Amino acid sequence: MIIRVENLTKVYDTGAIQVKALSNVSLSIERKEYVAIMGASGSGKSTLMNILGCLDRLTDGKYILDNVDVSTLSDNELAVIRNKKIGFVFQAFNLLPRLSALGNVELPMVYAGLSKSDRRQKAKAALEKVGLGDRMHHRPNELSGGQKQRVAIARALVNDPAIILADEPTGNLDTKSSEEIMNIFEGLNNEGVTIVMVTHERDIAQHTKRAVVFRDGEIISDKQIENRIIRGGSSK
Amino acid sequence: MNMAESFISALQSVKANKMRSFLTMLGIIIGISSVITIVSIGQGGKEAIMGEFDNLGTNVINVNVKSLEGGIEDRDYLTLKDAQLVKDKIPEVVAVVPAAGAMGYMKTEKEKKFSEIDCITHEFNKLMKVEMLAGRFLSEGDVEAARNVIVIDEITAKKLFKGPEDAVGQRIKVTINDNNTNFTIIGVSENAGGSMAAMFGDNYPGTGYVPITIRERIMPNVQISLFSVLLENMDNANEVAAKIVRLLEQSHRNEGKYAAEEGFKELDMLNNVINIFTMVIGAIAGISLVVGGIGVMNIMLVSVTERTREIGIRKALGAKNKDILLQFLTESLILCLIGGIIGMSLGITLGIVVGKIINIPLRISPLVILLAVGFSSAVGIFFGLYPANKAAKLDPIEALRYE
Repeated sequence: MIIRVENLTKVYDTGAIQVKALSNVSLSIERKEYVAIMGASGSGKSTLMNILGCLDRLTDGKYILDNVDVSTLSDNELAVIRNKKIGFVFQAFNLLPRLSALGNVELPMVYAGLSKSDRRQKAKAALEKVGLGDRMHHRPNELSGGQKQRVAIARALVNDPAIILADEPTGNLDTKSSEEIMNIFEGLNNEGVTIVMVTHERDIAQHTKRAVVFRDGEIISDKQIENRIIRGGSSK
Repeated sequence: MNMAESFISALQSVKANKMRSFLTMLGIIIGISSVITIVSIGQGGKEAIMGEFDNLGTNVINVNVKSLEGGIEDRDYLTLKDAQLVKDKIPEVVAVVPAAGAMGYMKTEKEKKFSEIDCITHEFNKLMKVEMLAGRFLSEGDVEAARNVIVIDEITAKKLFKGPEDAVGQRIKVTINDNNTNFTIIGVSENAGGSMAAMFGDNYPGTGYVPITIRERIMPNVQISLFSVLLENMDNANEVAAKIVRLLEQSHRNEGKYAAEEGFKELDMLNNVINIFTMVIGAIAGISLVVGGIGVMNIMLVSVTERTREIGIRKALGAKNKDILLQFLTESLILCLIGGIIGMSLGITLGIVVGKIINIPLRISPLVILLAVGFSSAVGIFFGLYPANKAAKLDPIEALRYE
């Protein structure tokens, strides 16, 4: 089991009022799973994503990631967890505009303390894997949306994380690029990469194997996907 | 992230915003260059002025007539007999040079030069080396016989005659308070004012040395108020000074009218004055450095706000707080360091140029360079710390959401 969340509660204290974003959520995700977290805005799915990504702390409950209880870790220890165990893919790509594709992919390895030559080599391999071997030295503003997201995926993969957390990865993309990105995720999952994806689009969720639906900070359904879409529309 | 990498990354980000980086540095550049220029010119000026006193003998006590209690009466002034007395009675004394001076004019038929006329003895050049350009200095015979002979300096010789060689043997008239006396020039010395005189050009007063024995003829109203006493050494200068004062008091039957001090007390004072002067102006220039530092802090704060999202991304990818802190601190350090180095080069150049114009040899001490680099680094770290800390403490979620 790669992720185990028990009775997770998250309360935002804004001073005047307390907002309960998540209440008593329990969730387990196995290695090699491909899970969609769904729900309308305000349902608590983004809060869960932030907590799973060790960007935020839970108010109550327990979160065990890859056999480590991360609910008790310090800020610095969480930074190390984010670096080694989690690969983020964001809706807005979040690439650094000043760096080339290669430089962006190298960034997590810079914080992991890898040598320059190791970084180069691994970043090149990751970019080739997502089909951007010929675009390595381009800056983000010279790339299309789909290419940017592929750079982001390469960056998420490069430290061999335990899970990839994707937050609306196709939200800013056209249909064709979305398909490409989903194909890449499909391929990665087939190679054994665990993927957790937040989305509110039902047809994007159809690509995954399991959908967990949130409403008002609670899980209202959690089931395997039937009629999955695999590789550009063919169904199984 | 190690130091070298954050250095390279910071350098890239400084390069990415060339104009802004330059404007930010400008404050530091102006601060450092003005401090270096001022301190270098101050040092150079001090050494130039001190150089003027190099010819001064070192084992000298000056005895002044001073009104410590009550006024000074005529009988309190020093006399030539006193000079002989001091020399005869106190064995440590090598020579006593009585001196009286007044401002006046040296004139030929066509030209005149405003000058200081010093009545001294032939032993004056034991106190202070007088370099002769032509002719000779006052002799014992000139003083004994109270001859109307004068040694003038170079600027006077140039103003009144064709030059030093031409001046020797010529006759001039010395006018002090409507009192006219004719003199024969026996020699021309180097300018008493040295390079100070060169700095002020023709307007610098000339100097004429005449025998003390003709004082009453040329400046009857001016008394002898100073003995420069040359000693064998300064080992017990204080005791000898006290002895001299006591002897003079016995001779004049008075008390508290004489003060004896080492000839170099004034030099030390001058030294201090120049140092304080340089320090004060340097400190004022230093203020501009602080202002520059605040400019750096301002820009770093803007930069942190602008790059909030970048900070969020870096944190999501595993940057620790100290990585972010180091990144921004390195950036402000680099800004200030580059500014410091440019400022230093500019300051030295400016110092050389200004030094050339006002005729002062520049003195750039390595300490100043070290101080400039050190100080600009300190400014970079000090004023970078707050913005960098602010960046490091950003909440990653907030930062990622920042538009």
